[in-house]
Amino acid sequence: MASNERPQRGTLGDRLYDAAFQNRLWRSIFRSGYPNTPRNQMLAVATNVFLHLHPTRIHRTHVKITHTFCLGGLSFFLFLGLTISGVLLMFYYVPSVDRAYQDILALETDVRFGQLMRNMHRWMAHGMVLTVIMHMMRVFYTGAYKPPREFNWVIGVVLLVLTLLLSFTGYLLPWDQLALWAITVGTNMVGSAPLLGEPNRFVLVGGYQVGQAALIRFYTLHVIGLPLVAAVFMMVHFWRIRRDGGLARPL
Amino acid sequence: MTTAAPENTSEPISKAVRGRKSRAREEELLVWPDLVFIEFICAVLFTVLILILAVLVDSVLLDRANPAITPNPSKAPWYFLNLQELLLHMHPALAGVIVPTVALIALGAIPYFDASNEGQGEWLSTPRAWLNLWVGAFVGFFGTLLLILYDASKHVVLFEMIANGTLSPQAPPTPSAEQYAAALQARGDAIPAGLQEIVNGSNPVLSATDTVPSEFYSQGIWNGASGYTAWPDSLEFLTTLRGIQTGIPWPEWTKSVPLGNLLRTDLFGFPRIELNIDISALIVEQIIPVTAMIGLPVLLAVVASKTGIAQSKRDHMIMQFSGFIAVYVILTIIGTYFRGVGLELEPYTIFSHG
Repeated sequence: MASNERPQRGTLGDRLYDAAFQNRLWRSIFRSGYPNTPRNQMLAVATNVFLHLHPTRIHRTHVKITHTFCLGGLSFFLFLGLTISGVLLMFYYVPSVDRAYQDILALETDVRFGQLMRNMHRWMAHGMVLTVIMHMMRVFYTGAYKPPREFNWVIGVVLLVLTLLLSFTGYLLPWDQLALWAITVGTNMVGSAPLLGEPNRFVLVGGYQVGQAALIRFYTLHVIGLPLVAAVFMMVHFWRIRRDGGLARPL
Repeated sequence: MTTAAPENTSEPISKAVRGRKSRAREEELLVWPDLVFIEFICAVLFTVLILILAVLVDSVLLDRANPAITPNPSKAPWYFLNLQELLLHMHPALAGVIVPTVALIALGAIPYFDASNEGQGEWLSTPRAWLNLWVGAFVGFFGTLLLILYDASKHVVLFEMIANGTLSPQAPPTPSAEQYAAALQARGDAIPAGLQEIVNGSNPVLSATDTVPSEFYSQGIWNGASGYTAWPDSLEFLTTLRGIQTGIPWPEWTKSVPLGNLLRTDLFGFPRIELNIDISALIVEQIIPVTAMIGLPVLLAVVASKTGIAQSKRDHMIMQFSGFIAVYVILTIIGTYFRGVGLELEPYTIFSHG
């Protein structure tokens, strides 16, 4: 019996594991060990700034793909993807009526992966409009807007509007015929509002017709103004999901 | 574990003593790995999907923007084409601003109308949920489609198809002067002197085989003479929504009813709005569309209540929301694929825009 009480020498795997996850470097970055035990798995979520948007435990019905189809998460994922590809596009784009179109042409022909980056940005933008609308439908049909989640639904509607505005402001930037006339049609709709329509259109376009002033306004709104506002509302949206008790459950 | 009721007592225990229902731990999973991995796989999958899409399909780039050349048709981005479609049927202030604003406010207010916990957290779990979804979606989709077809005079085409027994009804071409004179004679009508001159060859400019001048010509008489049944002229006002304005002889005084300056907008620095109202335009552009947009959903709700299709608030919510989504979808589809040059309703056009 006595021989069994002596600690056994660890295997090679154990020693490698200790070297990888029990050292000062790992511990300085991740406060918990490698998440291979329930305790560490919960700590991994709770002590990580990105993962702590999640609770540590979740009801088993909520991880079924068909419960949410990941639509809210996908919308956020597309927002992140749009931010990254958008930043890359900004390296090559000058929002001036004299240069914008040339810059897009150059992006498509001279810049390595430029066309790919523009395509990804475009498809993710269309995709995000779709996923946001479908996310709204999912929340509606699962009755997830009901108390106590009423206000988060309202925030969601605001985020839908912001998504449409983000897409709409981006539409003008290539400065081709499609862009110019789509925005002309769109802003004319704003102008048709009673009383405040025309002044609002004037502010939005920065003049009587879509030109340089409109381009710089749309650009600024597209790359910084609206994303910041959207980020603030997303922050509230995600925080409220946790505060209101996670995903809705049947009572 | 929370306090459980002692098993050997039959006395009911008050809610406060029982405490909260225990959270069923065995029903729960750890977020790491059960959720985080799903999210990760989902993200990878969609990155690959978008990458493939971006490699295969290039985004559109037309010619450089030119304010001097207006493309025909000019279209808004696809998710606004539903509003642009509305624009064809009602006052621009309604279609462009008021309807979307009201729709968004109504959308945001849904949880404040329907605050019951019925059907929460599960897909369409209330008893009549699916029924209400399909009824709402069906009525919204096809109802809107019918209204669009009406405004494009497709019912007139349908009428003439049935009345003339042909799939491509076409009014007979405008006749020559002598053909038309013969038709008048056959009807027993008097031939106007001017027309008689042309037929006799005594007109210095026109001959008998030339197209009959419009001042002598009535499409209705010629249709009748050549055996073609057309939409009756007396029902001109039922050809399109706009027909109510153009197909009815509105008295002159209705064209501009001065209501004065009801709104002193000049006080706020905006131009003074003088309200001179054209009653027929008001009816066509505002009263009928607003009545339809409010009245038809209300009618649907009333019918659904009476028939027992929708009984609870949640039922009505599902029906109206599904109807709204269906209307959004059909308007977007029509605006994207079925509006060609001049935004005319066409069988099928693919306007390449991305």
